Formats: sequence, structure tokens, C-alpha cells
Amino acid sequence: MKRALLVEVLRDPGQVSGFAPAQWELLLRQARSAGLHGALPFVLDDAGIEAPAAPRAHLDWMRVVARRHSDSMRNEVRLIAGALGGTAPLLLLKGAAYLMAGLPTARGRLFGDVDILAPKESLPAVERALVLQGWAATHHDAYDQRYYREWMHELPPLEHMHRGTAIDVHHAILPETAALRPDPARLRACAAPIAWPGAMAGERPLHVLAPPDMVLHSAVHLFWDGEFDHGLRDLFDLHRLLAEFGTRPGFWDGLPARARELTLELPLFYALRYAARLLGTPVPAGVTAQLAAAAPNRARLALMDALFLRALLPMHASCADVFDKPARFALYVRGNWLRMPPLLLARHLFHKAFLSPRPPPATDDV
Amino acid sequence: MWQLTPGQSLVARQWDEDLVVYNALSGATHRLGLGAAVLLGVLEDGPASEATLAVALQTEFSLDDGEVDAELPAMLDRLSRLELIQPCSCSTA
Amino acid sequence: MLLLDSLTRAELRRRLRRGELVLRTGPFATRIRSDIAAVADGMACIYGAHSVEPPDSFADFQVNLLRSTGWRRWFRPQVRFDHDGDAPFTPLPLAQAFPMLEWVMNWCVSNHAHSYLIVHAAVVEKQGCAVILPAPPGSGKSTLCAALAMRGWRLLSDELALVRCSDGLLIPLVRPVSLKNASIDVMRAFAPESRFSTPVGGTIKGIVGHLRPMEDSVARAHEPARAAWVVFPRFEAGAATSLAPVSKTDTFMRLIDNAFNYPTLGQQGFEVLAGLVDGCEGADFVYSRLDEAIAVFDGLAEGTS
Repeated sequence: MKRALLVEVLRDPGQVSGFAPAQWELLLRQARSAGLHGALPFVLDDAGIEAPAAPRAHLDWMRVVARRHSDSMRNEVRLIAGALGGTAPLLLLKGAAYLMAGLPTARGRLFGDVDILAPKESLPAVERALVLQGWAATHHDAYDQRYYREWMHELPPLEHMHRGTAIDVHHAILPETAALRPDPARLRACAAPIAWPGAMAGERPLHVLAPPDMVLHSAVHLFWDGEFDHGLRDLFDLHRLLAEFGTRPGFWDGLPARARELTLELPLFYALRYAARLLGTPVPAGVTAQLAAAAPNRARLALMDALFLRALLPMHASCADVFDKPARFALYVRGNWLRMPPLLLARHLFHKAFLSPRPPPATDDV
Repeated sequence: MWQLTPGQSLVARQWDEDLVVYNALSGATHRLGLGAAVLLGVLEDGPASEATLAVALQTEFSLDDGEVDAELPAMLDRLSRLELIQPCSCSTA
Repeated sequence: MLLLDSLTRAELRRRLRRGELVLRTGPFATRIRSDIAAVADGMACIYGAHSVEPPDSFADFQVNLLRSTGWRRWFRPQVRFDHDGDAPFTPLPLAQAFPMLEWVMNWCVSNHAHSYLIVHAAVVEKQGCAVILPAPPGSGKSTLCAALAMRGWRLLSDELALVRCSDGLLIPLVRPVSLKNASIDVMRAFAPESRFSTPVGGTIKGIVGHLRPMEDSVARAHEPARAAWVVFPRFEAGAATSLAPVSKTDTFMRLIDNAFNYPTLGQQGFEVLAGLVDGCEGADFVYSRLDEAIAVFDGLAEGTS
């Protein structure tokens, strides 16, 4: 029987008290597959649950990985701030933002790159400063370079030559070619300062997006990207962000209006819908009502439900069914389509398949 | 003036003539000579000038001026490249 | 406690096909799924004295070794490995399926088991004296380890030294010693009673065979040991046997080079390794004759006890 144990446990950690050893094994496998193995120990800790000895060892292993990850990412942010120099605030997005702001959603959250938001006109200078300090471009193909710079909303990812860590420099949270146009200047205007943790003194102030904007960015990132490898992880982010911010006065009241201002009502609609459906996120009825006008028609909504509710499950054999692959592919195409006008989309996909340079042959180091 | 990299925490062990050091900030492990250990020890108490550091080395190792002047810049440069220390524009209180 | 030997070959193959074969090796239980006869044969030969856990028990790792599908089934058939759906290695020729099992089990442990500092090294013990033998490939470490294991030394591991972070003890992971090329013949001559899996040619290391661990080592797999020596071996044809001291600082730095998960463990890794070095002597060891080498090691065991 296919069972998304991980989703059940995220929704209600107490479920594990009835688990047989085989179910613990499956839970850990689904967690690794979903990229949530760092977070799982914290989810259980917060619920006051102690696992039996054998799975507990795995949770301890995962804790070590999570700790190493957050230490190394904090250091990475410090080095990026140092490389960029100057005194303008460094605006962090997503994982790096949650980590440096000390948000609960950062606990055990594993992420690959540091993401920052900078004004479009500053990008050449930012790129120069990073390259000077050892970061290098990764996508050397001229086509890929153009894809990122002209059509997307970011520099091609830069990777540090010695550390191997990567930074994504964005000037907006959606590409200029997309139909929705959240104005990055508005995002930057509402960004809030955070303190450097501990004794890490930085000359450069750190900023993160305002709480409603963090939620909206997370929603956009999840529902407008084509790739759902970490769909559940991103949905769980939303769940934790809403749990944290939901208790702050005025948060829920202001959220729909801010979404409208940034043309992001539809992503917010989906985000709240699926977080509530899958993870039981409490959403005030008033908010759902305000977003109802942005909802797609019933037929389309039914299709989206079918696609997303499958795609958001862990990509693990124990959760997949025969509809899974087409669902994910349909969403991949949708993701790209939402980001580019149709003509550009076709050309891009065609080019990717046939004209991109062949990757170097894999070396066998077994 | 020099200081330890802010936010840094170091763990060290010594068995013979060298020191092994773990830098919790960068996650890197280094093998350092005892001269470097003396410099880090001075800076642990707060920022210090090159002159102060030179005196510390002279005292600990019974060196004369010439020996210290020849070695100190290279030692500081190496520790700086390892991100253990950095220049600071501060002054001691 | 059910031993693998007590399963009929048919039952072993059935459990393997269904992913119900859960093999215990030291602190870990590995769920193995395979439709390849050579895997069952290799396991029957090497793991007979190891225990097998019930199919519905908790397994730490899930290893799938399956025939590649499609046209590969008939033309130069291959085995592909995945760790629960994750496929980090390119497929290998089908004949290499059992060595592949060994390699992937090492990969599973060294990538996940972070309550241990995991060093690429052999570990043997006699009379309470445990010796860690780190060595890059080609140093003769496995041949020496096999010889010691066949001359009264307890085998804790051939490839992965597990240093438990909580107390610094060495935890056994009793699995076969992997030998290459001429070493297989050397060991057959040195210890005629040794039992090998069918040697497999054409691997990137040449011919590879696995030596079944002695029953005593398997039976004592739950017994930890305290490291007393870190010995860096090097085989050199015709050389005189020599043991030269290595300083603790050098031992520490050289162990880092051989540790899989030292960076992941962060500060704890540093402290565990420092604690290990505190309690050990370090040495470089050159040898050409196995009997002389064993005598030196026996001397270390005498000296410590």
C-alpha cells in the first residue's frame, strides 16, 4: 500500500507512536528522498517524541549533517558579505534568510545555494566583486548565459572555486518574461534588518524580506518552478513560516492585500490551499474568502489539485503511482511556460535537448 | 593593528612542537607552529599592534629584533590567509 | 538468532528477490534486494556466519543490485546499483555484482553513519591491543590485514574503522577482506584454510576476491576495542621489515587525510580524533615478508598487554 508516512508525520508527529520498525524505516527513507532528513529530528523533538533506538541513531546522524550545514552556510554568508564590501544591505532570500534570521523554519533545513536579491543595475558590480574573491561562472554555454541573464531574473549561478559553494544573485523573484510582475523595488523597500548571529560582527547590514513577502516568495518559488524534487520541503517551509508569522498581530490581515499589490494572489491561493490540504496548516476563513476571487475555474482547479497533490509528495517509490510521472512532467512544462512566452519556451526546450554541449564523460570512481 | 576574526572560536591540541587547531567558523583544521600559537594567544585578549606581537615572540622564544622582523610579516600573512586573523582599524582601549 | 548459513539457497534467493534479506554486520542492518545469482552465491560463501534479521525489521540501509533492463539484458549484461532509488554509480558488468555489493555497503556506511568518525583503514586486535591500519590503495594494507586475521588476530574491519564519537572506542564491522590480483594467491598459499568468494576479473582494480572472515571475529562483532596503535603500512618487495615512530601530530594530520566524514563531524570530529591520537602510538611500517610482519605485530600485542 502506498503511504506518504512523511506527510502524515509532518502533519501530526504523534503518529509515530504507533509505528512498527518497518514503518520507521520507510519514514526515514521518504524523509531522505524529500530532502527533509535534516528537519525530521527537529519535528520530532518539538513534539517531545523520542524514537526507538535503531531509528534514533539515524536521527542523530541527520542532526550532525544539519549542524554542519548550518555552520557552513553561516560562514558562507559572512564571506559573501565580506566579498561584496560596501555598506548597502545584503538582502538574503530563502534558506540563507531563514538561517540568519533564526527562524524556526531554518532548523534542519538543508539547502544548496545562498540566494540574494540585488537591484538590477548593481548586478555587474556584484558579479565583479564575487569573481574577484574566487567565485566563478558555472554555465559557460553562451545559450545558458543568455537564458539566465536575459530571460530569467538572476545571474547564472556562481560557484566558489575552493569551497564549491554556490550563490544565486537575483534581481527579481520572477523573470521579466512572466505574466505576473511582483515589483522587486517594493520587496526591497519593505525588507527588514536582522542582527548578525553571536559574535559575528559584520560591517554590512543583513536584510531579509518582510514576513508576508517571505511567504509570498516561498509560494511563488514552489508553484512557479518546474521542479518538484523538493516540493514537499518547500511546502513544509510555507507551513512553518505561516506557523511562525501567523501569531504576529496583523499578519493574516495584511497578507491578501500584499499579494494583490505584488500580483501574487494566485500563487498564494495555491500555497494556502495545498498547505492546508496536505499539512493541515490553519488558515483563517477570512483569508481564504478574500483569495477566492483569484481562484481558477472549477475544471482547472480540479486538474491542478490532481497534479499538485501528487507532485508534492516525496519522490519515492513508496509514494508514487502510475500517474506520478506524467503529473510531474506536466508541471515541469507548466513551470517553464509560466516563466516564458510560448515561442521562447519551445526554442529553449529544443535547444536544451539538441544543442547544449555534451556533458564530460562520467568517471567511474568505484 | 591585528585582531582575531570576529565570531571565531578555536579549539587546539598540542602534542609536540606543533599545534593542531580547529576553526569552528570556517570548519577548517590547521597545523601551526608554536610561534603562531603565541600570536593567537596574544590576540585572544584583544586587538594588538605588530609591535606588541613582536615583543611577545621575542619574550617567548628569546629572539632578537632581527629574527622577529624577518619572520613576523610572513607569519601574519599566513594567519590572515587562513582567516584566523585580520587587520583592524581599531585601537586598544 | 538466525544465521545466513541456515537458509537454503532457494530461500536466500527468494528473500533477495523480494528485498527481504536483512543482513546484520556489526552495528548496521542492510536490506539487500537482488535478482542476480552471483550476489546470492557470494553472500552464501562469505556471510554464512552472519545473522539475518526478520524481513519486517528495521534496516539501516537499502541496497538494490539489479540487472540492467532493456537491451543490456543480452549484450554485455550489467548490474546497476541504487541506494533506495538514488543511483550514484554507473552500472558495472554483471560478473562484478558481488564486489559491487561490498563497495556499496561501504559507501552507505561512510556517507551516513555520523555517530562514528569513519577512517579508511583496517582494524585488527589481539590481547586487547587494537591496531588501526590506514592506507591508500596499493599499500598492501589488505594483504597484511588478511594475514593477521588468519594468524590469531581478531578482524574488526578491513576497510572502515569506526571510532564511536561518544567514547572513542573502535566498533567492529566484520565484513570480508578484499584482496586483489597476486594477493589472492599469496593468501591461499599463506593460509590454505582461507575461504574466498569467486575471484572476479575486469574490475578497475584488476582481479578482486573476498576473504571470508573467521567465525571468531564474527562471533565477537559486538565487542568494541580501544585503539593502542596507528600503523601506516607499506609493502615494498625485498625490503627489510621496519617500524619507525610517527609523531602524534603527524599521525593526527595523516588520519584526517584518511577520514571519510571528518569535515561533516566538525568540532566533534576534531575532538574524537584528538582523543584517539592521545591514546595511541603512531608508526610507519615497511614489510616484504608476511611472517616477519606478523612477528612485529605480535610484539606490539605483547608490549601492550
